[in-house]
Amino acid sequence: MSDTGQVNVFSWHFMPWPYLDENFDRDHESGWITVPNSLFDRKKAVGLYQEYLDELAAADGLGFDGVVLNEHHQNIYGIMPAPNLLAAALTQTTKTCKLVVLGNLLPLNFRPLRVAEEYAMLDCMSNGRLVAGFAPGGGHESYSYSYSMPLARERFWEGVDLIVQAWTKPGPTSFEGKHYSMRYVNPWPQPLQTPHPPIWIPGSNSVETMYEVARRDFCYFLSTRGKLSGAKRSALRFGEVVEEIGKDFHPHQMGLLFSVYVGETDEIAREESGEAIFYFTRNCLKGHQRRKGRRLTMAPGGLSPSSWQLYLENSVVGAKMLGDAENWKDIDEMGSIFVGSPDTVFDKLWEFVDEANIGNLLIQFHIGNLSKEKTLKSQQLFAEKVLPRLRAESKKLFARKFAKKTIDVEAEAVVTA
Amino acid sequence: MTTRMVDVRGKKVEVLESGSGEPVLYLHDMWDLHTAQGGMFPFHEQLAAKFRLLAPAHPGCGESDSIKSIADIDDLAFHYLDVLDALGLQNAAIVGTGLGGWVATEIAVRNPERVSRLALVGAAGLQMPGAQIADIFMYSQHRDGGIMRDLRNLLFGDADSALANSIVPDGRVNIPDEVRRYKSLTLAGRVGWEPPYLHDRKLLDRLHRIAAPALLIWGEQDRFVPLANGRAYAANLPKAALKVLPGVGHSAILEAPEQCMALIAPFLSTGALP
Repeated sequence: MSDTGQVNVFSWHFMPWPYLDENFDRDHESGWITVPNSLFDRKKAVGLYQEYLDELAAADGLGFDGVVLNEHHQNIYGIMPAPNLLAAALTQTTKTCKLVVLGNLLPLNFRPLRVAEEYAMLDCMSNGRLVAGFAPGGGHESYSYSYSMPLARERFWEGVDLIVQAWTKPGPTSFEGKHYSMRYVNPWPQPLQTPHPPIWIPGSNSVETMYEVARRDFCYFLSTRGKLSGAKRSALRFGEVVEEIGKDFHPHQMGLLFSVYVGETDEIAREESGEAIFYFTRNCLKGHQRRKGRRLTMAPGGLSPSSWQLYLENSVVGAKMLGDAENWKDIDEMGSIFVGSPDTVFDKLWEFVDEANIGNLLIQFHIGNLSKEKTLKSQQLFAEKVLPRLRAESKKLFARKFAKKTIDVEAEAVVTA
Repeated sequence: MTTRMVDVRGKKVEVLESGSGEPVLYLHDMWDLHTAQGGMFPFHEQLAAKFRLLAPAHPGCGESDSIKSIADIDDLAFHYLDVLDALGLQNAAIVGTGLGGWVATEIAVRNPERVSRLALVGAAGLQMPGAQIADIFMYSQHRDGGIMRDLRNLLFGDADSALANSIVPDGRVNIPDEVRRYKSLTLAGRVGWEPPYLHDRKLLDRLHRIAAPALLIWGEQDRFVPLANGRAYAANLPKAALKVLPGVGHSAILEAPEQCMALIAPFLSTGALP
């Protein structure tokens, strides 16, 4: 993120299990939690992490602003339960890009201090390239790890505050919270970046989360597979929250995930990615963003009753979701997976920058069971044909719309070596 | 029937009150009054025909204030000791269903002198080997865009009955009831989601402290809190009788209100165990 006056573009990976057969959808109600791990084939797993890490390392060479890892448990959607291990590997194979871990699931950890320590290590190992994500987890994680969603929400913010204290108050200090009590907060090492690495927090439109994020000057990652209209609504709402507490909103405070496949033409792109796209929607999203099967994305107590009511009022039970897409028309209508020529993909993404003020584009290039060859090809085409345009256009746009805040963000990004 | 807000140490507790005579404190379950719907079911009406029914809504349920300090069953038991004080009940007969039955038992092991009779219906609180309490949180999530049959199967002897379908319908019920159910699961999630799941490992060894006679009613087909846990209550409570209702599931008061009343009413009146 050398120039913060433009959109930041990241290469995102889920690291899914890509070897499910065509009967998976018929035979299993979910790709999550209860999906039998007898489907994990040890022989096929050889080299898989290496392949995925190579794809991310390539993004560094292509000039992406960063790569993004995430944490999921007991599922075929992302076999990345410990993203810090992979981030550690990437500190050695990438040179300049940010390493975004989005994020460590704090309620799973015995003590958040461990996260403060591991992230500080990663920041040292990467020479100050870490973006520290913290997440409370959704339904999948609370079912999977038997933790209480309503309690996790409280613990989460307390854990975040403990970590920030560990990074910013010269130790030893102590921490007395409701859930965590640490007599000695004095982690060695400390992160290189001051006052601490940028912090990103995923949220799914909960206003409570927006306030907590805005108050602390963190970046809000909109954790939904929303359409443009939904992203606009959220960005607008988050912007209002930021202004309400007396701060200025900048697009760099908002991030959103997209899935992209770029080909030379729309036809080639569809031809090359079709199998993988529908592997992703049919299998990986089963139990998550799909009507069929058991949807475990939500858990009771994740939202306040008033936020839950708002969600109910704005959603339709049994409505079609991304995973229900059966053809290209459906994919296009869902507005989260963009497949096509560089121009097509640019146009789709640009709407989100221009209209929804999204300043961090997180792009999933590896999709479902896409091969390494195709993943690298699409990512490279994107870097050559889409990325420069996004940067140039957004630079003009942000200078016009958000001039004041740009300077502040640059000041925050200074790294002490 | 009246509903009033009672101040309990600065927090509002919604108390539904109906009938006259000897007071009976009713502690509700997760699909019950205050949770599945605001008002009474036939069982509660029958109970109120003979006793003065007092049914507070758990913290965060119904119109009761949520209480952030409640993070486990111990907190909830102490909350109810405060509720007993606020209602002026020195020595109460308590009827508790499911989650409410667990709370009632936790009150009784702490302050046995505050409980005169204990009627438990499909009570959570114990989990014997091989009798795991089912994952109500995960199975309360629908399948295939709105199908709730798995939850009905945990809560009712016959998941496909008209009763089960009326209380846990497929698709969305009206928004106030959806929010009511969400609040119920949220409270249960605060006290019973994390291991030990909806039970208390220390409870079995504390049951000997309960002086009051205890009537245990269990649906033979309870797939949420399996019958073996009811047998464990019966074997470890000093004065207890277990009545098993064939063909009935977890929601015995909804599925077999007359049978439940026929057992509970004389017990509450005389304290004699069947």
